[in-house]
Amino acid sequence: MRKITFTVNGLSHSVQVDPDDGRALIDFLRDDLGLTGTKQSCDRKGQCGACTVLVNNKAVRSCLTKVRNLDGAEILTVEGLGTPEKPHPIQEAFALAGAIQCGFCTPGMIISAKALLDKNPQPDTAAIKEAFRSNLCRCTGYAKIIKAVKLAAELLNGTTTVEQVRPSADEGYIGVSHPRPSALQLACGTAKFTADIKIDGVLELAAVRSPYAHALIKSIDYAEAEKMPGVVGVITARDIKGTNRVKDDWQLLCDKKVFVLGDPVAAVVADTRAQALAAAEKVFVDYEPLPAVSTIEQALESDCIRVHDETPNLCYSHPQIKEDAETALANSDEVVEAHFSTQLIHQAPLEPEAGLAFWEEAEDEDEPKLVVMGRSINIHGHLQVLQDALGWNNMRYEQVFIGGHFGIKMEITAEGLAAAAALHFRRPVRYVCSLTESMRITTKRHPFDMHVKLGANRDGKLTAYWTEFYLNNGAYTSAGANIIRRALYMLSGCYQIPAVKADGRLVYTNDAWGGAARGAGPPQSNFGLESAMELMAQRLEMDPLEFRLLNSLKPGESISTGQVIEEWPFPGCLETLKPHYERARREAADHKQGRYRRGVGLAGGSFGVGRGGADRSNVAVELMPDGGVTVYGSVADPGEGNDAMLTQIAAHLMSVSHDKVHLVTRDTDNTPDSSTASGSRVTYMSGGALVLAIEALKAAMAEVGAKGYDDLVAAGKPTRYMATRIQDATFMDPATGQGAPFESRVHGAQMAEVEVDTETGAVRVLKMTAVVDPGTVLNPRVVEGQIEGGMDMGAGMALRERYVHGETNDWKSINFPTMKTAFDVEVVLLQTPRKKGTLGAVGIGEFVLLPTSAAIITAIQDATGGERIHHLPATPDRVLASMNHQAAS
Amino acid sequence: MGNDQSVTTSGPKVYTVNGEKVTVDEDGFLVDPESWSEELARILAEEEGITELSDTHWRVLKFWRTYYFTNGKAPLNSQLKKGTGLTMAEIQACFPGGMRRTTRRLAGLPNLKGCA
Repeated sequence: MRKITFTVNGLSHSVQVDPDDGRALIDFLRDDLGLTGTKQSCDRKGQCGACTVLVNNKAVRSCLTKVRNLDGAEILTVEGLGTPEKPHPIQEAFALAGAIQCGFCTPGMIISAKALLDKNPQPDTAAIKEAFRSNLCRCTGYAKIIKAVKLAAELLNGTTTVEQVRPSADEGYIGVSHPRPSALQLACGTAKFTADIKIDGVLELAAVRSPYAHALIKSIDYAEAEKMPGVVGVITARDIKGTNRVKDDWQLLCDKKVFVLGDPVAAVVADTRAQALAAAEKVFVDYEPLPAVSTIEQALESDCIRVHDETPNLCYSHPQIKEDAETALANSDEVVEAHFSTQLIHQAPLEPEAGLAFWEEAEDEDEPKLVVMGRSINIHGHLQVLQDALGWNNMRYEQVFIGGHFGIKMEITAEGLAAAAALHFRRPVRYVCSLTESMRITTKRHPFDMHVKLGANRDGKLTAYWTEFYLNNGAYTSAGANIIRRALYMLSGCYQIPAVKADGRLVYTNDAWGGAARGAGPPQSNFGLESAMELMAQRLEMDPLEFRLLNSLKPGESISTGQVIEEWPFPGCLETLKPHYERARREAADHKQGRYRRGVGLAGGSFGVGRGGADRSNVAVELMPDGGVTVYGSVADPGEGNDAMLTQIAAHLMSVSHDKVHLVTRDTDNTPDSSTASGSRVTYMSGGALVLAIEALKAAMAEVGAKGYDDLVAAGKPTRYMATRIQDATFMDPATGQGAPFESRVHGAQMAEVEVDTETGAVRVLKMTAVVDPGTVLNPRVVEGQIEGGMDMGAGMALRERYVHGETNDWKSINFPTMKTAFDVEVVLLQTPRKKGTLGAVGIGEFVLLPTSAAIITAIQDATGGERIHHLPATPDRVLASMNHQAAS
Repeated sequence: MGNDQSVTTSGPKVYTVNGEKVTVDEDGFLVDPESWSEELARILAEEEGITELSDTHWRVLKFWRTYYFTNGKAPLNSQLKKGTGLTMAEIQACFPGGMRRTTRRLAGLPNLKGCA
């Protein structure tokens, strides 16, 4: 052993190390010093950069840096750079540039920026991309991070000041890009994510998971595990007193059977995580393997084993019938018939799964309260799930900062086992999953297998659309039925299609299970429709943009659900895109020969805002003695900027400064239920509820002539008012798929410019241009950030990403987007206020994915002159095959 | 039933109560809590095997509604006990087969499921 000394953020630390000590710096920083701004994401493989710190002024990944090698070193973490009260200019720049969404990657990004700017005070884009090649971000598409670094350079060299960039209250709050209220907490590493929170005496949990995709559990023997050092105990399904179910078909701990690789069968609780993991290895489970159902075709064979005994493998279907599509197709001049598919995708939030549960005593309650901390975006709904599953009612859920969402957090994961163990042992328990484990236990984007027929006449007008699509649901039904319904809600996309016949079918297998994933169905189904639109435009020899314009739905016409539409600003998006399209085609025309060829493609999208059908949100507002307001509602913000939305609406309507608006959004005990952060519904529904609550407060003030808090109290009026925003929408008829699922929609068109290496098949996206009409834009920078990040995710769907359960284990194998794959973006925002929108605004976050993949695939075909690619992702092999197929034919 | 035969597509259900159409979602929860009526509660109660709603039933159901419309969320059991003056054993005896789900449904509160 030897003693080494180094400094961290200027403070000296001495530790004893031996030559074989493998301890990583990240663990010393997080566990010993509590410097949790340094994040862990990639299982210490050096893939993500979230743990980047400076060692002797050089950016290093602290997960790969051994403490034993740090004698004499000077270490700087994000906490040493600045605080929310006194931030470093780089931290200010990230907040001001809108480079922070979920913020999980932000500390590592900021440290990388520090290292770069110390050496190169005026970096260009290429230098920034090189310096950030090891820093991953899922939310932003990197565009605003590059801007933030350039802004930081300007702040540091004095050519710009913070005051010049930061909007003032005088500029108002609607259409103004105020920094998000939480941005500096995230930039300075003080925002706590679940794995950052430590409770005294907390025990650590490790799960015992099935190595089989399908097997009976004959017995579980954990006697050896209980004897392992530090072990407090082991729980199995029989120790859970409630329903033990997350969903009807999905257990917290499996009791009789496992349904997918990685299913949990026991949980070991110990003093340390290492002890729990070691003991989990000593739990012996006797399995009787069953045939695993891998594909839809296999699952639908009549003699195939059922995944769930009580339900056929074809577990759900929903039709849609608008007029007589078969006859309309038969009478059409042209019919395009094709088969398209999209792949299984991991939503890939950067934060691994984690949950924490502990006990709270209250004098006025006759039993202690179990507190669960986690990353739910539906805290009241998930509280009920936990209460039912565990058979314990006195609980509260506290949401902490959420490291990305994209649909995954529609279900609880680690919180369930942590709470079950805390309840069983009556001790605080934390469950921090590895990245690999996180990938195994979370929902995925459903793969779609779509057969389509699109009819049109020679005049270019669409006549009918027919589609039959199957979803491999995997082992459990998270949101599978709803994914089908959402695909049907938005099936006819942007267009007037007089007749539609569709059938969506959900099939159980023993594969990874699908669930909510940004867009939740329409990104996949719209790829089918927009691909067919492109094929039809080619068949009719019409310009793709003009063809879409000709067929755009108009107010008074109906979508595939039969809902007659009053507002449809899609044509304006196409018209706005037209000059960009013409410019791009001119530029690409010069690159049609040789190895590297360029192409252009476009596609449209129309997205219903809300859950679809019944939807309501409750939000309360309270007038405070200082003249400010407190907003209460379980309005999760996993990075979309919902904190800015609530703050700016309240500041605008109450005519107060944003620093007089306080948000209470995280705890089931002190919030009304605002429902989920999903369906791009938060601005529309919860923002709408906030508007109603403020109107109620103002009406009460007006009634008694109150000018402020004191007047209102003196008049004997309450200071707090709750309101409910209810969407005027209906479910679809189960027999016809007809109904009016949404009040309002967001529209847009996107254009992709790509370059294809015709020797390797590699595709580089050069630029994406998005014209989007989300109604009133409350905060342009936040909206832009959603569009930029969404297109980056859409490009991953188009070109790279494919999840294989059991094989995709980390960010490298998932082909995570990087600075290297990032592309130029141009966002044009149109603002047609929606009649029922929140101050005219609708949501934006999910719509973005709808056009992206189809636009990119069209651009590839335009570049190569090959056959259109029908199956995603468009890997180099598929690109080459599409070129060869065309050459052969 | 073979694997190629789907279970019936579930969907919303419409009741006619006092001449008004009232919709419940696929899990049997009222879509619009404001469209609740005592008559609807009686119909839903029968579906749950509760043939008659007693004063105790009504005390519980009305507490749920009052609490929800005041606080925008469901009460915890401790609040339910305090608000009704009943013990959990008494309440559970009135609503067999899942007290919280049944009371929530009969009281006309919306489904908490993420994406119904």
